[in-house]
Amino acid sequence: MEIFVQQILNGLVIGSTYAVVAIGFSLVFIVLRVVNFAHPDIFMLGMFGGLAGITHLGGSIPVALLSGAIAACLAGLVLERAVIRPLHGRDVLTTLLATLGVSIIIQNATALIVGPDPISYVGGLNQRWTAQAFGYLSHGQLFNLAVSLSLVAVASFYVRRTRYGRATRAIAERPDVAAAFGVNVVRVSQVTVALASAMAGVGAVSVSLLYGNAWAFIGAVFGLKAFVAMLVAGNRHFEGVVVVALGLGVLEALVAGYVSSGMRDAVAFLVLIGVLYLRPSGLFGSYAT
Amino acid sequence: MSTFGYWEPVLIFALLNVVATCGLYVTAMSGQISMATAALAGIAAYAAAVLTANFDWPLIPAALTATLGVAGLGAALGYLIADMRDFVLKLTTLAFGEAASTLAFNFHYIGGSNGFSGIPLYTDLPIVALAALVAIFVAWRYDRSSLGLASRAVREDPLAAASSGVSVRRVRVIGFATGAGLAAVAGSLSAHYVLVVVPGQLGFFYSLTFVIFLLAGGMYTLWGPVLAALVLTVLPELLRFASSYRLILFGLIIVLVVMLRPEGLISFRMRARASTGLASSYRRLLAAWARRDREG
Repeated sequence: MEIFVQQILNGLVIGSTYAVVAIGFSLVFIVLRVVNFAHPDIFMLGMFGGLAGITHLGGSIPVALLSGAIAACLAGLVLERAVIRPLHGRDVLTTLLATLGVSIIIQNATALIVGPDPISYVGGLNQRWTAQAFGYLSHGQLFNLAVSLSLVAVASFYVRRTRYGRATRAIAERPDVAAAFGVNVVRVSQVTVALASAMAGVGAVSVSLLYGNAWAFIGAVFGLKAFVAMLVAGNRHFEGVVVVALGLGVLEALVAGYVSSGMRDAVAFLVLIGVLYLRPSGLFGSYAT
Repeated sequence: MSTFGYWEPVLIFALLNVVATCGLYVTAMSGQISMATAALAGIAAYAAAVLTANFDWPLIPAALTATLGVAGLGAALGYLIADMRDFVLKLTTLAFGEAASTLAFNFHYIGGSNGFSGIPLYTDLPIVALAALVAIFVAWRYDRSSLGLASRAVREDPLAAASSGVSVRRVRVIGFATGAGLAAVAGSLSAHYVLVVVPGQLGFFYSLTFVIFLLAGGMYTLWGPVLAALVLTVLPELLRFASSYRLILFGLIIVLVVMLRPEGLISFRMRARASTGLASSYRRLLAAWARRDREG
């Protein structure tokens, strides 16, 4: 029973990071109609932004989170301007391929600069970080869970309560009608990408503080799972994506704990095939594309 | 060592990529851009390798058995996804590949995470060249057959095709099975050249290579993707002088192709012809029928 509770909590911690990445994916997809395969690599750039914040700017955690957010946000805006906007109106596969090319470039350029192996964050942080906070969770896990869930809350507030958020939903429904009603589609797109990227950056720093390292190829680890979470949930309901991402984290942790850690990664994809067969637009529905 | 020295392996891989790309071309003809090419090829590679290494079969029967088996698997997968929207379909095939890769990773009989090794060396350049010719012929015949016509009609507009009596599901399942079969030929031959099959090669990233060949060459002609498979396999070898920048350049090439040449790098002109070709005539015909029916 103790292991069971432990695995569920571990799953929630990792699932909350899936949720942050998945929401970014989902927001960018509904507004720009782009499967942004570079999003996980923007997440990775945020992680290194945080690392730079710690090693070069004094090393407090808020500074790291902020520099991670700024690094990721800038990368996202450049990507939007340089690659996504010129491809406006092309089909999903075209932009998917382009952002995938960008992803390959970002990963390998980063690996060229910092090396292809994981780089450890400052060690002193880790000892305090791995100490148990409440019976089951370490400080690092608790911190990651808290940061990720706050990010989810911020994103939810943005989409449901702000003017830009309303514009976001309008564009998701019908971009042409939204534009006809005076929504500045380009501006909303920029804000969406900036927000999604900054969130990914913050989430990346908090999860890398937990694991104590940053890695040029970390994107794929979180990217594919987040992607699966978005597809299984469908992109219409924001909260659905969060629930599925958390659920996926828990399911994986349980499989890792009770079946085998190797089967962990298969779970997500088997769930995806099953759900897409029965409900092609996801459990909670998707916007028409 | 051999007639072509250093370039012989490069040539063999280029031709194997041509075989698998022909398969993807056939599958994509009915509008299904599969992200599982490498997975299907990899499953065939495992199957053929097990037959030759553990049961001492010769290459040809083993490869044929693997090909038939994987074509059957492809038909099953095709049946599963035949009704899916384009985007969802790609993701389901992607998930299939990732799941297959993970399952292979955990399957000890075929070596698990270490991969399956101890495969005899059977594949050489003549066999691969023959396979490439056969694959191109199959794809070319498919293109010209009534099935090919029906496939293109389904790609352009499934609803219109269905309303004029084309069985969308049948066309897509056959297309998927044929493509899977060709991918399987490439997979089983490559296993007997590389001499090891690893779970990673079933994954999404490798499948994507074939999608890149298809899109870089333009999916509306057979020659475009075939040429793209040859050029883009040899190109990274030529880029070897810049070894650590190789993948960055590769990514850059993808981005530039997509942004500057949306209809494909090579067959830009051919696309223009294709739009006045069979598929669109067929589509115009269907539109005319639909109009006539409406106006009674």
